[in-house]
Amino acid sequence: MSDHDKIYSTKFQDKIERSTVLMFVVIALAVAVGGIVEIVPLFYVPNTGVNGGDGTYNGTVHKDAAGNAISMDKIVWNPETSAHKTLEDWLPGDGVRPYKPLELAGRAVYIREGCYLCHSQQIRPFRDEKDRYGHYSIAEESMYDHPFQWGSKRTGPDLARLGGKYSDEWHRRHLSHPRDVVPESVMPNYFWLADGNVNVAETVQTMKVMTMMPFNPVPKTIYTDAYIDGAAAQLEGKTEMEALIAYLQGLGNHVKFEEGVNYRD
Amino acid sequence: MSDKHDAGGVTTTGHVWDDDLGDFTNQPPKWWMLGLTASAIWCVVYFLYYPSFPISSAHGFFKGIAGWTAIAEMDADTTIVDEVRGKYEAKLKGMTPAAILADSELTEYVTRSGKVLFGDNCAACHGTNGVGAADAQGFIAPILRDDDWLYGGKIGDIYTSISAGRQGVMIAHKDVLSAAEIDTLANAVAAGKPTSTPLFTEKGCVVCHGPDGKGLAAMGSANLTDSIWRFDGSVEGIKRTITYGVNAGPDARVAVMPSFTAAGKLSDTEIKKLAVYVYKFGGGQADAPAAPAAPVSAPAAK
Amino acid sequence: MEATQATPVKYDMEVVRWFTIAAAIYAVVGTLVGVIIASELAWPFLNLDIPYITFGRLRPLHTNAVIFAFGGCTLFATGFYMVQRTGATKLWSNGLAWFTFWGWNLIIVCAVLALPLGMTEGKEYAELPWIVDIMIAVVWLSFGLNHMMTVAIRKTSHIYVSNWFTMSMIVMITYLHVVNSLAIPVSLTNSYSVFSGVQDAMVQWWWGHNAVGFYLTAGFLGIMYYFVPKQSGRPVFSYRLSVLHFWALTFGYVWLGSHHLQYTALPDWTGSLGAAVSLAMIIPSWGGAMNGMMTLSGAWDKLRTDYVLRFLVVALAFYAMSTFEGPVMSLKSVNALSHYTDWTVGHVHSGALGWMAMVAYGALYHMVKKLWGVEKMYSDSLVNVHFWLATIGTVIYIVALWVSGIMQGLMWRDYDEYGTLTYTFVESVSAMHPYYVMRMVGGLTFTLGAAIALFNIVMTVSQASAKRSSGAVPAKA
Ligand code: HEC
Ligand code: HEC
Ligand code: HEC
Ligand code: HEM
Ligand code: HEM
Ligand SMILES: [Ca+2]
Ligand SMILES: [Ca+2]
Ligand SMILES: [Cu+2]
Repeated sequence: MSDHDKIYSTKFQDKIERSTVLMFVVIALAVAVGGIVEIVPLFYVPNTGVNGGDGTYNGTVHKDAAGNAISMDKIVWNPETSAHKTLEDWLPGDGVRPYKPLELAGRAVYIREGCYLCHSQQIRPFRDEKDRYGHYSIAEESMYDHPFQWGSKRTGPDLARLGGKYSDEWHRRHLSHPRDVVPESVMPNYFWLADGNVNVAETVQTMKVMTMMPFNPVPKTIYTDAYIDGAAAQLEGKTEMEALIAYLQGLGNHVKFEEGVNYRD
Repeated sequence: MSDKHDAGGVTTTGHVWDDDLGDFTNQPPKWWMLGLTASAIWCVVYFLYYPSFPISSAHGFFKGIAGWTAIAEMDADTTIVDEVRGKYEAKLKGMTPAAILADSELTEYVTRSGKVLFGDNCAACHGTNGVGAADAQGFIAPILRDDDWLYGGKIGDIYTSISAGRQGVMIAHKDVLSAAEIDTLANAVAAGKPTSTPLFTEKGCVVCHGPDGKGLAAMGSANLTDSIWRFDGSVEGIKRTITYGVNAGPDARVAVMPSFTAAGKLSDTEIKKLAVYVYKFGGGQADAPAAPAAPVSAPAAK
Repeated sequence: MEATQATPVKYDMEVVRWFTIAAAIYAVVGTLVGVIIASELAWPFLNLDIPYITFGRLRPLHTNAVIFAFGGCTLFATGFYMVQRTGATKLWSNGLAWFTFWGWNLIIVCAVLALPLGMTEGKEYAELPWIVDIMIAVVWLSFGLNHMMTVAIRKTSHIYVSNWFTMSMIVMITYLHVVNSLAIPVSLTNSYSVFSGVQDAMVQWWWGHNAVGFYLTAGFLGIMYYFVPKQSGRPVFSYRLSVLHFWALTFGYVWLGSHHLQYTALPDWTGSLGAAVSLAMIIPSWGGAMNGMMTLSGAWDKLRTDYVLRFLVVALAFYAMSTFEGPVMSLKSVNALSHYTDWTVGHVHSGALGWMAMVAYGALYHMVKKLWGVEKMYSDSLVNVHFWLATIGTVIYIVALWVSGIMQGLMWRDYDEYGTLTYTFVESVSAMHPYYVMRMVGGLTFTLGAAIALFNIVMTVSQASAKRSSGAVPAKA
């Protein structure tokens, strides 16, 4: 009844179906397109928090209410132009900065414990998120985050602007036994984080690795060799709990957001 | 082969795999083909309407003909709630917390908006509705629902507590007092009669807690006679407070109320709202009668 | 069922048998871990203060177990099965297939150790440490190479549609895994992504979405295209539909990743791009669902007696449902509400339980009978019991999370008549409790079904082996 050689689609489709190599090649090309279009531009278009290497951030320009360009040094901390030259002198509002050694160790704990599976770190530009959590997040704020920790689920509240909201002591008690402090909480107890010390060698290694990143590395002018050498002393004897709290207290207070400025595209 | 699968005259393509697998030569349903076309059109329309591709144009990036941006959407949404709350907010800006308290409509507004502000920012330390939150180490922060205040319960005091933060300090006595002395003091304090032992005066407790042991609001030292405990009222707990002090180094009780102004977490209006909200828990104390309006609006303290 | 016709080809099926059993085991393990983490959210004391089983560490174990262990073994079992039978040829390399088997199981063992120990890269569904990532790449390519070479040495003129889908999965997952896992190690078990911030987010969700799109969808559509016609004894409804929706999905799905990042710090165009194409994916997705359903349409009568067919039908229904739900969730206004809430998790499980797991069981039951040369399962009524438990469990699960997710989203954004927020965050947390309990019950129901399936399969196999060794039935397949 049916003709074995009759083609019910197109000649090309028929050819593909007869040839493993052709099928492979056409698929390999077809599935590459979407990803390239969405990903590659993010490395060079403005407003994507990529350090162009010369302090230009791919031509990102934020303008104040009067339409004047705001210096990028106000958004991303630049020790050369800032009044505060080292990570230790840096103050909230000086601009986005890399992590201090203890914070980096705490961030490793955050990742290890999977906090990002319950907590987001990304405030969307909605009136309710602004009222509840504060200013919406911008690209530059996570430029030193290898990997990003935005999360995709808010079982607990967003933590993007947590820094300074509570005292260290509160964090210690809350992390230890969340339900003692917040009876409704479903967060696990983490009191055992106080029993372990941070991994000093690995944290120092992490700092080195952060300067080696192909994209958005920490500038060697900030993580200087001397600074990395001195990190071990800062980390010695610190518990994982202390490190985690240091990380949490540094979240989201880097940039001083001005009224009337649109920090997004 | 294909006749085996003959379905109302439709044939298969003739290819056979694994004995009996084949494909009919049916056309895809019409609605499906239309849908596919519509989907392609949809993409193009959407791409033009919204900012959808990273291709630059004369004015930076292609913005989409609707001129939509996430930020503009937020601004539009905010305008809607601002229409409701704007008139209150505008008034609040120039008012003192005390003045807000004197205005019943504004007080109602402020208590409503205070609920989530308090729940999301303060309840973690002070407990839901200010009833206090305690773990094995005692209360994290003072109860705000009662009429006992460390730093004073007048609306201005409360405002200052929130805006500037608080950090009461009590020195550690482990090197100053013997174990026996600490024991004596702790028992006297636990019984609510701190002055019953001469040690209270001799060892300098009076300097901070006052000659009658009722505390000094200026430094937030606790009233030791009212059986309302800031940390923990057991003899053991009190011993710990005396031995290691408050905010005085390792092992000390920690009592840090963050400054919500310094941390940039709350705006001045929000702090005013919270001051009124906390005041209205019931423990707020009226200002001195010097203020002319006071007698009229004086809320009954509890 | 028509009997297998005498074919001169002797297939390499032993490795398929092992993958089949492994899949049935991992399904129970993976869903059981799901039930545990669901219970931890409902009753947090169940974290038991044991670091290794806290929610944050077990959740990745759950996702990895169901996706890579259960899903992976199902894909490998069916992949090797289908590619041989549709090409009328043995595997290109049986030895390499065994390498895939042992390698993949070694990876699973590594995951079971690493994740509770907190060794993670901190990227969803790509948590495994860099050293395991390298193993995954090697083992994945061993499967890919073997599959494609077997396609190449097929005896048929054309490549069967199932193998198109499997091939697209192989290629895409290779791209995704390699790029998304690029990282610099700081120790044997720890490393940091070379990407950061916005770029890392996009790479991650390009991976995250397409792990769903190509692994849990294209891969399982491949399975569907073989087992639905086989089980119903009818040819695929429309060849043209196969062609069109295959290419539409293969080309289109890749663009969807950015719907996970709408309104985030990425430039606005990125989210819109993903959202537009997401909605356009309803029709291609329904093309698959339609082709499957219409294939069955001449065999509706069989549904009454053929429980395996029921799994496939319900799977197609859930596939159609979740590929409608997903695009709707991609719309800006809906995503604004649904993102970050349980609705996403509910959507995940309508795809995962309703579609992917149901297809998997349809295929597993079918293969067990063929692979061990039996006419019937040990107990057909247990297949029926499993079917109902799976269906009811799935429905309970997703209904609970629709309610909780939408409630969560509405509570977070609710403003009262004074124009200020109505609910505190913790009020939303406590409102979730009943639904978390309900989800746990639904999950437990589903897991019970999976356990019954395992029992049924093991009994079928052991009876068949007993018969075979007594020589009653000649070995075939
Ligand atoms: C099972 C889910 C879950 C996990 C895992 C989890 N949390 Fe939470 N978290 C919550 C919930 C729910 C709340 C809200 C109730 C409360 O304050 O405890 C919360 C609240 C918090 C808060 C208070 C935020 C605020 O603004 O009030 C912090 C800080 C926090 N979590 C940090 C962490 C860290 C750090 C980790 C990992 C070590 C973690 N959480 C793991 C669920 C979780
Ligand atoms: C990190 C924990 C913490 C948070 C968050 C916090 N407080 Fe406090 N609060 C404290 C502590 C601790 C004290 C007592 C300080 C002391 O003892 O010196 C205090 C004291 C106070 C006082 C003075 C009480 C008195 O008896 O005089 C008021 C009023 C107050 N807080 C209100 C608030 C409000 C309103 C908020 C939210 C905006 C808030 N607090 C958030 C910890 C906190
Ligand atoms: C430097 C000033 C200072 C001195 C000296 C001092 N205290 Fe205190 N004490 C405070 C302050 C301030 C607080 C309240 C701490 C807080 O809540 O921040 C306090 C709190 C306490 C409390 C806790 C009350 C409660 O409600 O839990 C006890 C008990 C106490 N003091 C006893 C003593 C005794 C006994 C002495 C003498 C040996 C003493 N204090 C000396 C400043 C002092
Ligand atoms: C008995 C069945 C199951 C139960 C009880 C269950 C339970 C859960 C729970 C509690 C979560 C965490 C949700 C949260 O963080 O709020 C989760 C996440 C997840 N589960 Fe399951 N699960 C089950 C089966 C499956 C199956 C078969 C798959 C197959 C792929 C699967 C895939 C996933 C995925 C991908 C996530 C992550 C969702 C996200 O990040 O949004 N689950 N599951
Ligand atoms: C055309 C089809 C589909 C579209 C357009 C789609 C769309 C979406 C959207 C919009 C989200 C929520 C993103 C967010 O807000 O964070 C999502 C999440 C998810 N979907 Fe789908 N979906 C589709 C089909 C499926 C299917 C069939 C499955 C399962 C087999 C699935 C699995 C998932 C998973 C696992 C997530 C959770 C990702 C996370 O961890 O956040 N999707 N999908
Ligand atoms: Ca997720
Ligand atoms: Ca009080
Ligand atoms: Cu997706």
